[in-house]
Amino acid sequence: MLVALAALGSAGPADAAVKQVRYVGIHPIPASEGGGICYIEGPHVHIFEASDRLQYRDHRGANYFVGDPVAYGYDGQRYVYRGHHPIHVDAVVGDDVPDDEFCYIDGPHYHSFAPPEGPEFKVSGDAYFYVGDPPRAYVEARPRMVRINAEYQPLVYERPVVTVDPPAGWIGARAEFVTPAVVVEPPRAGVRVEAVAPEPSVRAGVGIGIGVGVAAGIGIGIGAGTVVRERPVIVHERPVIVHERPVIVHERPVIVHERPVIVRERPVVVRERPVVVHERPVVRERVEVQHKTMVDDRPHAAGHHR
Amino acid sequence: MSAVTRTFMFMSALAAAAACTKAGEGDKAAGAAASPRDAVLDAWKANKLAPSAMAPATVAFAKDCQAGSVAGIDAMLCSFASVSEAKSAEDQGLAWVGSATGASQARGQVLIMLADRKKADPSGRTINQLLKLAPNEPFR
Repeated sequence: MLVALAALGSAGPADAAVKQVRYVGIHPIPASEGGGICYIEGPHVHIFEASDRLQYRDHRGANYFVGDPVAYGYDGQRYVYRGHHPIHVDAVVGDDVPDDEFCYIDGPHYHSFAPPEGPEFKVSGDAYFYVGDPPRAYVEARPRMVRINAEYQPLVYERPVVTVDPPAGWIGARAEFVTPAVVVEPPRAGVRVEAVAPEPSVRAGVGIGIGVGVAAGIGIGIGAGTVVRERPVIVHERPVIVHERPVIVHERPVIVHERPVIVRERPVVVRERPVVVHERPVVRERVEVQHKTMVDDRPHAAGHHR
Repeated sequence: MSAVTRTFMFMSALAAAAACTKAGEGDKAAGAAASPRDAVLDAWKANKLAPSAMAPATVAFAKDCQAGSVAGIDAMLCSFASVSEAKSAEDQGLAWVGSATGASQARGQVLIMLADRKKADPSGRTINQLLKLAPNEPFR
């Protein structure tokens, strides 16, 4: 999928550090890249990843978008589908590599292509209904792939309205392909509980969820042969909608810039200051002089002794 | 037959031959392209996507290439001897696209490489149109 452009040489003015990501067919553009739809129908490249893996399948090493493009602003030719169905990718993109993928969007939705003519689809009310037998791969991947519906739940856009009853054999009405939506406790004595798990709710414009209807009938026997039957209590539970938002972890490379430690050894300059010894002159001579003066100033008394 | 008559007939024949030659050239200019690459360029021009002057370009994986731009998108057209050769060079053409949205697809004997380096086509509509307009039949 990723085309390393490390060995470009003189092939073109490309940035050797950037990785191309291959796509085929129209697809949403991430909001970080401007949003909207890329309308290139054939193989092409971008320099951004297809981040939402539930909405893409691999086709010959390229990302192929299997979601509803109208939810992201697609304004081209569109076709209405209801419920899960196969996508013959090779027919859509026009190559000769067989590739059957499955769309797991519940209820009415759009695609930019019509299915090939054949018995596996029936058209009713301008909508395509899949009535074929899905492969085992579809059943196995379904628990993981149906999470795509949680991603479409918060998207606000004009969804198609399908009011007709689905044709016989539609995958959404076949018990073997309807996910049990409610767990019913074992009935207690005297109480009969019937649980019905109908097809997924497909009301357009309301959202995508799983409707659960529970019908409970209670029969109470009194005396011999007297049976009082209360009217069944029908509890319509509101659709259980699980908003599972994908956790996208952007692992950013940790770049450690090791800056070289530059130790600048400054030369130690030892300036030896000359020791100046000021030898102060000894003024002995002056003292002697003073002493001599003092001696001279004394009055002579030698004559008195005599 | 006099000399004057013979001279007149000869001059008339020359004039007729020149007229036929000009008519033939005119037909060719109006219809058939001179090369597979010209066929692509003509298809673009016919749909108001006139490319800039295409100049010879050198790439490692093809010998006969010209590059220019169409509606703000860088374009490179390389002619190959066969359809299969052009098809097999598609991946190498992506190297020329580089770090941009773009495509490298063979149309007949021509490898078309388009790169939106100036982000002039954020929705890819122009690239899609250029690829769809290019004739895909082998050039004869």
